[in-house]
Amino acid sequence: MEFNWSPEDIEHRREIREFLDEELPDNWEEISQHGPGGDSQAAFSRQFCGRMAEKGWLTQHWPGEYGGRDCEPWRHSIVGEEMWAIGEPRGSQYMNVNWIGPAIMHYGTQAQKQLHLPKISAGDVLWCQGFSEPEAGSDLAALRTRAERIGDNYVINGSKIWTSYCNHADYIFLLVRTDPSSSRQQGISVLLVPMDTPGIEVREIPSVVGERYFHEVFFTDVTVPASVLLGEENNGWGVVNYALQFERIGAARYARAAVTLDRLAEVAAERGMLDDPIVVDRLGEARALCEAARVLVYKVIDLRAKDQPPTADTQLARVLSTTCDNAIGRLALEIFGPESREYASYADNNFRLAMTAGVAVGATEVQLNLIAARFLKLPRE
Amino acid sequence: MDFDLNEDQQAVLESVERLLAQHAGPARAVALNRAGDYDHDLHAALEAAGFNQIARDLARDDTLAGLEAALTVEAIARSGGVVAAAAQMLVAPALCERTIEGPVAICTVGELTQPTPVRFAAHARSLLVLDDGDAYLVSPAPGTFEPVRTSFGYPMGRLSEGASVEPDREGQALGAGAADTLRNWWRLGLAVEAVGTMDAALGHTVEYLRQRRQFGRTIGSFQAVQHRLSLCAIEVEASRWLTREAAFHNAQPEAVAAAAAYALQAADTLFTETHQLSGAIGFTCEFDLHVWSMRLLALRQELGGVGAARRALVEARWGAA
Repeated sequence: MEFNWSPEDIEHRREIREFLDEELPDNWEEISQHGPGGDSQAAFSRQFCGRMAEKGWLTQHWPGEYGGRDCEPWRHSIVGEEMWAIGEPRGSQYMNVNWIGPAIMHYGTQAQKQLHLPKISAGDVLWCQGFSEPEAGSDLAALRTRAERIGDNYVINGSKIWTSYCNHADYIFLLVRTDPSSSRQQGISVLLVPMDTPGIEVREIPSVVGERYFHEVFFTDVTVPASVLLGEENNGWGVVNYALQFERIGAARYARAAVTLDRLAEVAAERGMLDDPIVVDRLGEARALCEAARVLVYKVIDLRAKDQPPTADTQLARVLSTTCDNAIGRLALEIFGPESREYASYADNNFRLAMTAGVAVGATEVQLNLIAARFLKLPRE
Repeated sequence: MDFDLNEDQQAVLESVERLLAQHAGPARAVALNRAGDYDHDLHAALEAAGFNQIARDLARDDTLAGLEAALTVEAIARSGGVVAAAAQMLVAPALCERTIEGPVAICTVGELTQPTPVRFAAHARSLLVLDDGDAYLVSPAPGTFEPVRTSFGYPMGRLSEGASVEPDREGQALGAGAADTLRNWWRLGLAVEAVGTMDAALGHTVEYLRQRRQFGRTIGSFQAVQHRLSLCAIEVEASRWLTREAAFHNAQPEAVAAAAAYALQAADTLFTETHQLSGAIGFTCEFDLHVWSMRLLALRQELGGVGAARRALVEARWGAA
């Protein structure tokens, strides 16, 4: 047991910071104000990820045979921390490199690998995930979107909801029910569907989170070749579980929260608020929370670095990471006070981007259920 | 980074756990607490097996083995051991060049000028005193501290009327910087003890709730109960890893302030939740929860508790508080 970064990792973090200094334009804060799904950030991500790919950093944690450098997950986690902390200039492409690419490597056919992996590692393709449905939110296994096998094609009908990034996406990682007589986890499949396929319609769901944040995606007789099936038909649940073990801590929320908190402390000091013991107490509490979330995420990265199967540590980390993100988002409103009332002010942006943390990618309550069953071994009955 | 124990650490932990299985445990803690006694036998066994000097004995390149000592203290706290493990194994080696005679107690000068109960003081052969910017070592004569009855799970002593303590005549090595060193290692010790103690309190509660049946089912199967226990588990695990990391970095001020700020807040949550979820049996002496739960509140009272740890964290992180 030891908790030091290697000199190479420390050097890599320095390189990444230097790279970000050079690559991010002066108006980056404005570009990123709507988060990774915003129009300007999505467009910027193609240029930025291309530059990362040129450096060899975008998919450096991938195996050499797929264009990566076989770097340890620790190396990739440094990239994740630095990117997310500054507002994620990779846009939605962080998902591509974190879990969509690895899922295709694990389950994809040769043709799928040849089609998708070079695009992802070049940093010029956007994906979205088609999981939740109106009647299948936290209870994902209740999904109903149907893909019927007709000849060499699948014909898809149904809808997805809460979908982020889909307005710019080239592909959707789509969960469908391929066996109509099945229920729950059985009979689900994953399809890799081009978003320009006729019959797909995207509608924005206006929300208080921000522009272009949530969407509904409607599928009406969307016909795709059967070759878009990822993994075995009706075994999509296994594919998703494999993919999600990477996703649940994919976004380094604690890192962004920590950077925001540094800014809050700076502002508090400038405004003489540190004479107030309550403010000092709140800042200290918040900093401890960021650190606690970080160390639990590191525990999960350690397991991954050792190629060990995922454990409930993922859920522990996930809950604390989202708690931390939420708490610092709300603290920003308190520190900035009345200024935060203005839309797109610093505190408002941070708060809005943090507020969905406990619901996205499996609500906190689902994570707590899993901790009770897997970590504490409590009975179900 | 490596979150798994290496072979040496594994050996240390197995060896102290074997010793504790023989010399400690909740039943022993209950008996000792009833009499207000210190566990001299356990102390001697730890001494004989070399654990009291572990931080120094396993030191490499003059760097104390803070993590190995912390793992040992965590295990002792988990076992409910009635010994001053943190002061002996973490604080004393960091502060004093020579080995000081145990048991070791720690207090602030305020706890002497306005005498209040101090953990282990009635049994201490050495006392480390934090006096704002100074720290000194005292060897209290027998009777300097009188035993005080307490609800909070550790033997305590208060400075006797008319008694006083003076800095040790040998004045060992508690010079410049000693106060900060004492503060940081004391804070680390509190966090480590809190972790072991919370771990045991939660484990005991979970085990009970797996068995206890009401409304025709085990209480631990209710989702309302499960979620609260899951949140407790997160608090304990986060405290554990923050604390181990801070111990590995030998009580580096920011790391240790974060660990203590988190763990001592978690201690309050764990006290409240383990008692609430255990129900009435949790308040009785026959149910061992109190061995650990009551101690959590005592740990929160030392060195300014959560508030001081948070202030220290703000100061270490942003240079102001």
